[in-house]
Amino acid sequence: MGVIGYGLGVIGAGLAIGLAAHGVANAMARQPEVQDRVFTVFIMGSAFAEALALIGFVVALVVK
Amino acid sequence: MEAFELLPEEINHLVSEFHSIPVVGDLMTGVTQYTFWMIVSAILLLIIMFAFVKNMSLVPHGMFQNMMEYIIQFIEKDVGKAIVGKTWKKHFPFLATLFFFIFVNNVVGIIPGMKPGSGTISTTAALALVAFIYFIACGVKVHGPIGYIKSLAPSGVAFPLNVLIWVIEVISTLLRPITLAVRLFCNMFAGHIVMGSFAIMVTLFAQPLLEQLTAANVVGALPSLAFGAILLVIYGIEMFVGVIQAYVFTVLTAVYIQGAEAEGH
Repeated sequence: MGVIGYGLGVIGAGLAIGLAAHGVANAMARQPEVQDRVFTVFIMGSAFAEALALIGFVVALVVK
Repeated sequence: MEAFELLPEEINHLVSEFHSIPVVGDLMTGVTQYTFWMIVSAILLLIIMFAFVKNMSLVPHGMFQNMMEYIIQFIEKDVGKAIVGKTWKKHFPFLATLFFFIFVNNVVGIIPGMKPGSGTISTTAALALVAFIYFIACGVKVHGPIGYIKSLAPSGVAFPLNVLIWVIEVISTLLRPITLAVRLFCNMFAGHIVMGSFAIMVTLFAQPLLEQLTAANVVGALPSLAFGAILLVIYGIEMFVGVIQAYVFTVLTAVYIQGAEAEGH
């Protein structure tokens, strides 16, 4: 059960990081000179999304 | 597939090895394996930094000097000037210390047989608490104690909404150290669990071959080659994650400092 729950939870995080990467790729293609700043924003955004997936991972391990 | 039947037990054993085990003394006052490796990486960092400072010159020579200057300039430019803004010089030592400490801890943990100092929630919680107190102190220094508490709510919002936003902001501020700690800990923990799982798969499939050399055992050991290849890839990703997580921790601390110092949000 825990594994299924984690799988469900990670869908959201996966979509979020995918969306972030999509946006960053678009932004970089349109304006290559702002690459550095866009990359920082991307890393921050995906860190927030990823944190949720990781919390799910720990919960799946802890709750049997 | 009897190898897969043995897997859950091995995984449980693997997870149990990630609990803090005291090397010296007991759990409260002694040194656990994580603390030990944290001390090792701190000493390593000291050696690296002293070696760097000793040979510092206007024009850096050699790979080591150039690499260190590149990393420091990266923090200066991308974290200091780009995020913190005008007061970046004051906060640069703290941010650089955070980055290098977490970075060295993560990288030391990647080496097989060693543990990351940041692989336990206690270490990351302590780091997050330090960052939390630091940015609150920065806010209090700029706005004054009452002013900082007031500055959490944006100015220019009508009265009843103002209070609601203030409550939300207070909650989000209190959640910051928790997310900082959990993010770093989970990244290290999850990465090492995944690497450990694949290492177990490799050994489980290769086990019969080591005991007896027959044609069936050789064929049975073939999946372990594939798992070994995946393990190498994940190893590379984990090295990348170690750097990225140190960067994320530093960037988020810089963002919080900037938010605390900003005028009326």
